[in-house]
Amino acid sequence: MDCLVAGANFLLKAIRHEAFTHMEGHKEFVQIDHNDLFPYLLVNVGSGVSIIKVDGDGKFQRVSGTNVGGGTYWGLGRLLTKCSSFDELLELSQRGDNSTIDMLVGDIYGGMDYSKIGLSASTIASSFGKAISDKKELEDYRPEDISLSLLRMISYNIGQISYLNALRFGLKRIFFGGFFIRGHAYTMDTISFAVQFWSKGEAQAMFLRHEGFLGALGAFMSYQKHGLDDLMVHHLVERFPMGAPYTGGRIHGPPLGDLNEKISWMEKFVQRGTEITAPVPMAPPGTTGLGGFEVPSSRGATLRPDASALNIGVLHLVPTLEVFPLLANPKMYEPNTIDLSDHKELEYWFTVLSEHLPDLVDKAVASEGGTDDAKRRGDAFARAFSAHLARLMEEPAAYGKLGLANLLELREECLREFQFHDAYRSIKQRENEASLAVLPDLLLELDHMDEEARLLTLIEGVLAANIFDWGSRACVDLYHKGTIIEIYRMSRNKMQRPWRVDDFDLFKERMLGSDGKKPKPHKRALLFVDNSGADVVLGMLPLARELLRRGTEVVLVANSLPALNDVTAMELPDIVAEAAKHCDILRRAAEAGGLLVDAMTNTVDGSEGNSSSVPLMVVENGCGSPCIDLRQVSSELAAAAKCADLVILEGMGRSLHTNFNALFKSEALKLAMVKNQRLAEKLIQGKIYDCVCRYEPAPAS
Amino acid sequence: MDRLADVSNLRSSQSQTQISHLALDIGGSLIKLVYFCRYDDSCRDDGDELRSQNDSLCSKSDNSQPVLEGRLHFAKFETSKINDCLDFLHSMKLCLDVNSGSHDGTAPPSNKIFIKATGGGAYKFADLFKEKLGVSLDKEDEMECLVTGANFLLKAVHQEAFTYLDGQKEFVQIDPNDLYPYLLVNIGSGVSMIKVDGDGKFERVSGTSLGGGTFWGLGRLLTKCKNFDELLELSHRGNNRIVDMLVGDIYGGTDYAKIGLSSTTIASSFGKAISDSKELEDYEPEDVSRSLLRMISNNIGQISYLNALRFGLKRIFFAGFFIRGHAYTMDTISVAVNFWSKGEAKAMFLRHEGFLGALGAFMSYEKQCLDGLTVHKMQQKFPISASSAGDNIYCSLNSNSDENGSIECTVYGT
Repeated sequence: MDCLVAGANFLLKAIRHEAFTHMEGHKEFVQIDHNDLFPYLLVNVGSGVSIIKVDGDGKFQRVSGTNVGGGTYWGLGRLLTKCSSFDELLELSQRGDNSTIDMLVGDIYGGMDYSKIGLSASTIASSFGKAISDKKELEDYRPEDISLSLLRMISYNIGQISYLNALRFGLKRIFFGGFFIRGHAYTMDTISFAVQFWSKGEAQAMFLRHEGFLGALGAFMSYQKHGLDDLMVHHLVERFPMGAPYTGGRIHGPPLGDLNEKISWMEKFVQRGTEITAPVPMAPPGTTGLGGFEVPSSRGATLRPDASALNIGVLHLVPTLEVFPLLANPKMYEPNTIDLSDHKELEYWFTVLSEHLPDLVDKAVASEGGTDDAKRRGDAFARAFSAHLARLMEEPAAYGKLGLANLLELREECLREFQFHDAYRSIKQRENEASLAVLPDLLLELDHMDEEARLLTLIEGVLAANIFDWGSRACVDLYHKGTIIEIYRMSRNKMQRPWRVDDFDLFKERMLGSDGKKPKPHKRALLFVDNSGADVVLGMLPLARELLRRGTEVVLVANSLPALNDVTAMELPDIVAEAAKHCDILRRAAEAGGLLVDAMTNTVDGSEGNSSSVPLMVVENGCGSPCIDLRQVSSELAAAAKCADLVILEGMGRSLHTNFNALFKSEALKLAMVKNQRLAEKLIQGKIYDCVCRYEPAPAS
Repeated sequence: MDRLADVSNLRSSQSQTQISHLALDIGGSLIKLVYFCRYDDSCRDDGDELRSQNDSLCSKSDNSQPVLEGRLHFAKFETSKINDCLDFLHSMKLCLDVNSGSHDGTAPPSNKIFIKATGGGAYKFADLFKEKLGVSLDKEDEMECLVTGANFLLKAVHQEAFTYLDGQKEFVQIDPNDLYPYLLVNIGSGVSMIKVDGDGKFERVSGTSLGGGTFWGLGRLLTKCKNFDELLELSHRGNNRIVDMLVGDIYGGTDYAKIGLSSTTIASSFGKAISDSKELEDYEPEDVSRSLLRMISNNIGQISYLNALRFGLKRIFFAGFFIRGHAYTMDTISVAVNFWSKGEAKAMFLRHEGFLGALGAFMSYEKQCLDGLTVHKMQQKFPISASSAGDNIYCSLNSNSDENGSIECTVYGT
């Protein structure tokens, strides 16, 4: 029991979207503030039922229980139906009709409700109450009906007793776990119903995604008491690798040891013409289509037994991750702008990602030299990722609460799993080189402008250069039509203010002041950069240069791991070094920021007294996705953010898909070109290639 | 020794007695009847002692209303055999005063005869009664009747409530002025839990579908028993350890003392039946019945206690036909209440447990045409004929262990 509680405490504190409610087949994730977790009621439904009041870490008490539990269901069920397994019995219940065997209020009241006390005709008055009839023997009842009646009897009873105990101690949260629950949609539904019924809607039953591991996790923690105790939610990243062939949360066969096994396993499925059930299960043919939970009713209809099977990822402990310190309200922060629980939305992104897949596979295979091995891996990746997508379409909550950021991250994870470390490596290199070649011209052009024209051109440049995005279908098409610099020029020339979201004047006033008053420059700016090539070289670097020139320290924030053609923190120093060859401002700042170690020694030799420049630095953000979840950033970034007073987010992934609505303690500038028609309509009521320049001053106080 | 209602006797003596008031409680499994028989002269051989008491009561009456003296009788039928009930009523040649005041000849008998009825069947079988007996069922709310009946019994009948623990029955004297609030748990086919705050002041606060119907229904499927009492009888001889998983089975015979569970505590009802090696036929019906009874009684006891706790009620009365004075049932419920309340609450039972609803419906006449029903305290009699009647032809349910006697009483008519 110690283990159970320790495990539950850990999960609830450490894992985001660990808890969910389950009503009528619909799953909803509940975010629990871990400072406000206790007290709660933990109901473990095993053979019997233990009801535990948890007041804190290691502080708990078994307050109640009942002997009517999973063992009763399975024991009585076996005697009554001859089922040979628990799962079979549960499955039977889904086709059952309990009204043939339960005495309902309507049976007693001649079909009427007993409305005076709020009992509807379909309320069960007496479980198995109809079986008292002399006319029918055990053989005359359908096992399906018996199983359902039994399941309802026991689930309702557990729900009721749990609720009464929660009431008794004034606990607002009830978490259910144990083998009886284990992801079975129907069981969760009946228990939820009971809690809702008895509490008149005031209490909700909650379930845990990893509940099957409560005990084991707790046992693990017990000899790791030191160290893991102070784990925080932002230290853990959940990943969903294809660890073993499993469907519906059940593992079939041994874990897949290495990459080769994974690939051949995927191939085997294809050869057999079987639907791919890995890394995540798909519906057996004919049960549910892409619509997912088509019949989410608790009234008997069909729910697949594993319809609720949740995918449990591997928890990666990354102790260096932290919450981005500049978030105005970390507790309320939700990275995703668009909620994919809207099925239409999910369907759209599903299509986008599916269509993009062949192109991505081509790139990935090419990045590995186009060998046969690379092709095999590419195929396997495509299948695995398709299976992930299909699974998600069917059961959007299979991986916890899902946002576009998670979906994109899943794709990158999946690529890495098949050892494609950087599918866009060669493309990125090529584009960086091409862009760096035209940078001197651009800088020269800028330096001839006055301050005001320059600032506008710089922002236009960022927006224009943001068109180079291999994640965007529209953009991939463009690439076939012209060279980088042509596209960039065309794109910049088409920039016409006002943009769809245009706070440029506000930003300009902050930068240049009005009525001749010069505002104080920013102390430090964090620039979250997006794509390689023109985007970073012709867009963000010149903007960084301008800030540096004004005495603002600049920190370029880039991905830790490759994602699409996004520039990584590893690649940035080389790009900066190359750019610095043509620009003194950049060179001195890069030297000051330690980016040009070799150059620095030269400087000392040359005894130029210009090391007074503010520094230009590069930090990694801790993630490997085109989107960014600011609850989990690298500690490096967190440290760099401490004295920053301006955050610039660039690109669709970082400033639109995620963080469009994020509020910061500092000033924030969000810049992006919308390269997706649907997003343009949805988010800014605009069109494709519309631009967003959103400036938010720091909140008062 | 005593009979709940000896119908055959009633029938044989119907020339001497006259049913003047009747009320029904038609539940999911059983029909409960309460009826009042007036004394004829021939019926007065019960003794002079009664007479004098009646006189004294009559003298208290400050008006000239006719006083009916007689007995309240109790009878029950299975709901599925409702025709037996109709036959019985028919044979009794109902001569009801109800709703007409015809007994004093001041008004012609109305064509419409009403019988007070409660329970779901009052709705379900209304047409049937109309058709077969030509009577209309005047429907009274089920919960209200239960409460009225319970209040009446607890206030008016001496030694109505008792506790039962370890085979010891102990009557509890309840001060009628300190009766409220209490929790009434009526265990019929299902279970209703009602918080009673006073006459007509009550609320159904909870309930459970695991009730008498579950015991009987599951029991029938599992044991092939033919009736409820046979099933109960079986449970006497059973041993639930064969079927139930006990704490000791899990923790290797040692108590799981840390959380206060002894090794004989049931961890999981029917938890041993998950074993692959045994099928239903391999279990003794006695053991199955015992396990089932404990499961349901224990559960009712627990949920009742939790509800009593919730509302701060110190008394829990258990009633309804599930109990039927069965020692082991009462014992299990008592143990459950005792266990969960750590000895702070006690389960109490009512001698007329099965007839609360019917009695309540009967009492509702009071509102319309009866001014009062007075019970002669200490006058409760068990029908003399009970001992002579071997078989009760209308009641297929035996009631050996019941102690529900008829009640001597006086009805003030209008």
